[in-house]
Amino acid sequence: MHIPDGILPAAVCAAGYATTGAATWVSLRKINQQADPRAGIPKASLLTSAFFVASWIHVPVPPTSAHLVLNGLLGATLGYYAFPAILIGLFFQAVMFQHGGLTTLGVNATMMGVPALLSYYIFRLRGLVDQENRVWTAVFGFVAGAVGLGVAALIAMVLLITTIPAHLDVEAERASIYALTTAHVPLMLIEGLFTALVVLFLQRVKPELLEQG
Amino acid sequence: MNLGLEAFAHLDSPFHRWAPKHKLVGLTVLIFAFSFVRDLHLLPAMLAVTFILYAVSRLPLSFLLARLRYPGFFLLALALLLPFLSGQTVILRLGPLALRQEGCLDLLLIVVKFVSILTLSLVLFGSAPFLSTIKAMQGLGLPSILADMTLLSYRYLYEVGDDLHKMETAMGLRGFRARRPSRRTLGVLAALAGSLLVRSYERSERIYKAMVLRGFGAGVRPAPHSRERSQAHVHDYLALGGALFVAAGFLAAQILL
Repeated sequence: MHIPDGILPAAVCAAGYATTGAATWVSLRKINQQADPRAGIPKASLLTSAFFVASWIHVPVPPTSAHLVLNGLLGATLGYYAFPAILIGLFFQAVMFQHGGLTTLGVNATMMGVPALLSYYIFRLRGLVDQENRVWTAVFGFVAGAVGLGVAALIAMVLLITTIPAHLDVEAERASIYALTTAHVPLMLIEGLFTALVVLFLQRVKPELLEQG
Repeated sequence: MNLGLEAFAHLDSPFHRWAPKHKLVGLTVLIFAFSFVRDLHLLPAMLAVTFILYAVSRLPLSFLLARLRYPGFFLLALALLLPFLSGQTVILRLGPLALRQEGCLDLLLIVVKFVSILTLSLVLFGSAPFLSTIKAMQGLGLPSILADMTLLSYRYLYEVGDDLHKMETAMGLRGFRARRPSRRTLGVLAALAGSLLVRSYERSERIYKAMVLRGFGAGVRPAPHSRERSQAHVHDYLALGGALFVAAGFLAAQILL
């Protein structure tokens, strides 16, 4: 779900960089308001590497296998560090694996990072009910994971279909956006389920990893 | 696991000698100028500039080809769809399929821009150690939190990757095979991802203590590396001027044509 170089018009790339700049600015401001902002850097950096590596884990989805995006889980565990973490992860993807691209880095970071922040807010809502309750943790973990991927997929489809084939008619565009987004529903369920299982694991093994924010 | 981006960072070419900060600005502006192009007449010039720059950088061709392989799948998917779906002017009919002119031209534009931008970004990041490139970004205003996070995650990417590899091997040896998406498979894979996060988290606590012992957070910047050049030379500015001139040429041509 990374949009490569050369596809989007320059104006869309520039708009992507503008929203990424704004989201990074907000995140860094929130991070700097913490008691010791530098103390969180090693933790956020190592988890950035860990998330990058964890996205190589393949989950069997017959007839093939899918890798997970994990942006919802990233939001739930890293809080405001999630956006910089995603930006850095995508930068590595672009320069090391040619997955995504430099001109589309802003667009891709917005596409994955803004839903991650959304997932962070969703997951934080479990504080309103009962933070220690495993059922609520699983429910909010599931919603955070599913929404994280779902919103990212929706943004990607709208961008790709409205910008690439300049000669498609409006009806066909709308139909293909609906079709492609519907195709992502099973992936959203898997992503949500996986996120719920990981947050339950973390709550049992290392609860302080979920205490961000 | 070898990510290999820095494999040819120590060659000797005009690009390797170009001051990282100037190179970053020059090539980034050129990359964005390329992404601005929509006129098909500019594509041969774009390919020519890309080819010349890659040849001057003395990076081996295999380095480029190996990195084109993965995104090639995406291009292949586009190549199978776009010419048949986009546009009205049919140039060839193959049974129920109609090859359309607009789709073919769209595809040509996307492929040429994609290959050119990818090649230039390889020249940019392949012709200097990653550390110097990030330092150059910091010199150009990248916030220090982002720069520190980038360098630390880059440093530990290899080790976390090895962790995953070891855990997967251990799981395989104990008979785990991820075949069907059952509740159990998903649970085991979630525990694998969770363990990866917990291990990295614990490692980060040790690293943070070690960094504090060495003065991290005390506001002291380490002394610049002795081999690093602090001063930019005339040729750095000349090369930057050249890159900006070519980029301006593409922008002007796109606007005027």
